[in-house]
Amino acid sequence: MSSLWKSGTAAHRRYVIRTMAFMLPYMAICIAMMVTDAFDQIMGTPAAWVLAAAVSAPIMGQIWATLSLMRESDEFVRAVTAKQFIVAAGLAMAVATFWGFGETFAGAPHLPAWLIYPLFWGAFGVVSPFIRDSNA
Amino acid sequence: MKNRLKLLRTEKGWTQADLGDRLGVSRQAVNALETEKHDPSLDLAYRIASLFERPVEDIFENPHG
Repeated sequence: MSSLWKSGTAAHRRYVIRTMAFMLPYMAICIAMMVTDAFDQIMGTPAAWVLAAAVSAPIMGQIWATLSLMRESDEFVRAVTAKQFIVAAGLAMAVATFWGFGETFAGAPHLPAWLIYPLFWGAFGVVSPFIRDSNA
Repeated sequence: MKNRLKLLRTEKGWTQADLGDRLGVSRQAVNALETEKHDPSLDLAYRIASLFERPVEDIFENPHG
């Protein structure tokens, strides 16, 4: 992310700021849920759905930030970003589907569905250095 | 797409960033064009041709011709 800030365009720098703005609350809520008992009172109540929505909302914001980066960038950055996004999403969906059927058919231990989001960005980070052209 | 963009740019004494500024694209885009990692849109190809005051065919090799 820091290299994107140093070497990137103005659109890239706006993307970094927007990413931080959306990811900080997402991570803050996730960490608070894991390491504190701040939300224990509402678990299993209707208010828990509000908490689930609150932690999911930054994900929509992050998708908007990515689409904004594409809209504000030139055609090369737009094409490469789209390619990286598609490959990362495909990988994340393939792994999630594999594990889901593993749970159904092979008794694999259950994993929470929200893991697909960090899985997607992990895949994005892994594939991005290898996708540097728009035409192959 | 094979092209003479790097040659034309260096003849003018421009860096990739200079050319990017003149074309309204990033330095990365200019680098990708020069290294054949990006095929320009028709709009960008005409902008490049206009900047160098040459026909598109003088800059980009027609892969179908």
